[in-house]
Amino acid sequence: MCSRCWGVMSVTLSKLSLRNAKRQTGDYLVYFVTIVMAATLLYAFNGLVFSKELQELSERMDSVSVLIVVSSIVVVCIFGWLVSYAANFMLTLRSREMGIYILIGLENRQVARLFFLENLAVGAAAFTLGIFSGALLYQILRAIVFSLFGQTYRFAFTLSLKAAGLTAVYFVLIYLRALRKSRKKICTMKICDLIYFDRQNEGAVIQTSRRRRRIFSASIVLGILGTFLLLTGKLISGLIGAGCVIAFLYGFFLSFASGVPAFFEKHAQKKWKGQNLIIFRTLTAKLGTMGIVMATISLLFTATLVSEGTGLVFCALFEGRAAQNGCFDLYLAEEGETPPAREYLEFIQQKIPVRSEALYQVYQNENTQFLDHILDSDVTYYGYGYEGDPVMRYSDYVRLREIAGYEEVSALQGQYLLHCRRYLKDVLEECMEPVTVGDTVLTPGGVHTEHFLQEFDSENGNGYLLIVPDEAAEKLSVHHTAYAAATVSPVSREQLKELIRIEEERMGTGNYDTVITRTGQKEDAALSTAAFVFPLYFVSLALIMTAATILTIQQLSECGRYRRQFALLGKLGMDRREMEKTLRTQFLIYYAMPAIPPVLIGVPFILQVGKGPEPGVLVGAGSPWVIACAALAVFLAVYLIYIVTAYSSLKRKVLLDVPASVTCI
Amino acid sequence: MLQVRKIEKYYGSKNNVTKALDRISFEVAEGEFIAIMGASGSGKTTLLNCISTIDTVSAGDILLNGENIAELSSGELARFRRERLGFVFQDFNLLDTLTIEENIGLALTINHADPFSVRRQVCEAAEKLGITDILGKFPYQVSGGQKQRAACARAMAAGQSLLLADEPTGALDSKASKNLLEIMTQMNRDLGATILMVTHDAYSASYAGRVLFLKDGRIFNELLRAERKRSVFYHEILDVLALLGGDVSDVI
Repeated sequence: MCSRCWGVMSVTLSKLSLRNAKRQTGDYLVYFVTIVMAATLLYAFNGLVFSKELQELSERMDSVSVLIVVSSIVVVCIFGWLVSYAANFMLTLRSREMGIYILIGLENRQVARLFFLENLAVGAAAFTLGIFSGALLYQILRAIVFSLFGQTYRFAFTLSLKAAGLTAVYFVLIYLRALRKSRKKICTMKICDLIYFDRQNEGAVIQTSRRRRRIFSASIVLGILGTFLLLTGKLISGLIGAGCVIAFLYGFFLSFASGVPAFFEKHAQKKWKGQNLIIFRTLTAKLGTMGIVMATISLLFTATLVSEGTGLVFCALFEGRAAQNGCFDLYLAEEGETPPAREYLEFIQQKIPVRSEALYQVYQNENTQFLDHILDSDVTYYGYGYEGDPVMRYSDYVRLREIAGYEEVSALQGQYLLHCRRYLKDVLEECMEPVTVGDTVLTPGGVHTEHFLQEFDSENGNGYLLIVPDEAAEKLSVHHTAYAAATVSPVSREQLKELIRIEEERMGTGNYDTVITRTGQKEDAALSTAAFVFPLYFVSLALIMTAATILTIQQLSECGRYRRQFALLGKLGMDRREMEKTLRTQFLIYYAMPAIPPVLIGVPFILQVGKGPEPGVLVGAGSPWVIACAALAVFLAVYLIYIVTAYSSLKRKVLLDVPASVTCI
Repeated sequence: MLQVRKIEKYYGSKNNVTKALDRISFEVAEGEFIAIMGASGSGKTTLLNCISTIDTVSAGDILLNGENIAELSSGELARFRRERLGFVFQDFNLLDTLTIEENIGLALTINHADPFSVRRQVCEAAEKLGITDILGKFPYQVSGGQKQRAACARAMAAGQSLLLADEPTGALDSKASKNLLEIMTQMNRDLGATILMVTHDAYSASYAGRVLFLKDGRIFNELLRAERKRSVFYHEILDVLALLGGDVSDVI
């Protein structure tokens, strides 16, 4: 071909690519929006990695950046699979068009270039839009991070070149991998392969119906067994359980298509009832050829739910710990009757202005009445360090409540109070009987459950504490001596660093102290949330968006066939309302099928994960059941966006002015 | 049974109006087998679509058993179609995801038939059309003739009173066409089915009792078979078709 012809040809090809890219964007709007969202997510999280102001929030922000980059690589792999799948799928749908290009004289590599260019145009458009929406999402993430670290957020729209550059690198990797595969496929295909390529489908992996039925039954057994093993919470059985669940998903979806006709064969009257026939036959026809894809989507949904649930567990855990341990601005403790080291107290006196403070002791009773009761109950409790029930003097307790900012309590008249963690309240109330402390017999006075630094033995009791009149505690042995203070302003990072330096120095001489500050606890929680919860949600969003997009493009690709089918049903006398009902039922089953196994597996899994942390942290709004429901709600909210979008598009295209459209058959 | 009174049908917008049907009137008695013939664009499929309520007329009335179908709501039209009309299309219009048995049963399920009696009704219809042995097969596994017989079974399975066929032999070879037309004749004769068939094939039309010829949206001629042999009737149809190419005044 002469150079002029090549020039003309390349211009035509570019125009054609651009036009096809526009058409692709319109036809596969859901896919395009997902790619834009991919760029949005990648840019926003890259923004966190490269933000100097965020890096300055903590010296340990490096670990957050590393974990975000690692999760970005996982996300790139997930979106890479989506783009690769979508490119292959579009190639299948448009293979006839490609074949015609070759038929009229284009070379395979020119057609491959055309396909490459139009996908690249779609990718570039998505990337550009994604950078701008990503800059907005980055502001949301920035606001969350600032709020986590207790800083004031101010809106400041910026575009980070470094973040955009890294996002571009990710996009190039995603597209190059997918398009190389398509290019190879187009270049090696013959005209007839391309023209008839759309007639090829995934193909039934399991050919005989008897074999399918056996696999269907076996997969159900594996699913139940796998879920049971996952719930044991042990590593080996958990791994075997995960394997069983994966086998169940693939077995179930590969054999489902044969299960339905077999069922209808046995229960013929069910087949002829209502619109069952059309609904299930259409569904099995679709599932019969996309079993592997459905199983993979179901697996992605399971991973989404598990990631979201685990993220929420972490979030509640870090928040719960920070709330429990950060109830005093400053807390120091040392074993025995010795007060906290002079170095600490001097430093505080010189450098940390204090509003209110208390030096007190935690005693231990001569009996373990409450400890025994807890250990006899079903509640999980890791108690150690105390030989008797921990005890505090009433006057110290009143002072500490004032420091923590809690309400006053009434004076004790021969009574004792119980201050415990919320999860132990019910158990301890069962044994609220008269108790002997020293020589005094005290009657129950009441129970308080505010956060009171009660996680470890070097704190205010290990989960619970008896508050007794001062004189009753006089003869008891001292477990440890502590210092708590309410500071004028929060303990700064530099002040905390100095306190930790003293602690480390003393550790070198064999003294193990406890140093806790509210700001330190908050920073730990903020860092842990940013390092674990953000990446988990980042990955889970990528997973659900990928899975839901594939489901949607698969469903919308059937519009033409469904339109013909419903036009025929209209001619046969089905009215529009019934058609809508049939389409809706068929659609809902299609979307529910890959989501039901993940819910059945994911929810018990989240509940199991919720049992992992130390007891008493995941309570109230952070309890495992609430977390499981919240994870499910987030999952369904994102999934519903895709379902509603797909359904409205499908309904519009399939039932286009029915019954008038029935003429278009 | 069917009365078509001065119906007109226009397509297009203000500046570009096409008259597809021009004041057509005729009647169909119960148990009749009528063929409608005409060249491409003569309006025969439009006429069939108007009668089948798939399309609406611009003017005039269509009455089926005295009921004006133009006055029915969309829900009543759907009920009218599923209870009274049976369709046979040129390209069969069988759903490829359903077996032949299920395709026939589909018309019954749409009619809300008793689920326990559907299989029996399907078997009865299949037996009458000689397709019992292919009931478990999918459309792509059977021949064109068998597909069209399955379509006929579907059209009659729910006890519909009027069978509307649009070029039913258009996609069949001569042997399968003959077989189908004999079956349709049998359905008309033995089962009392009223059939309205659109065709451009003289051979197919010769199986009917009456043939209406359409040209430019108007009835150009009408032929009655009466007691004549089918072969004689066939030649008469060919004669009219020869004239159909000329001016209307050449015939009337």
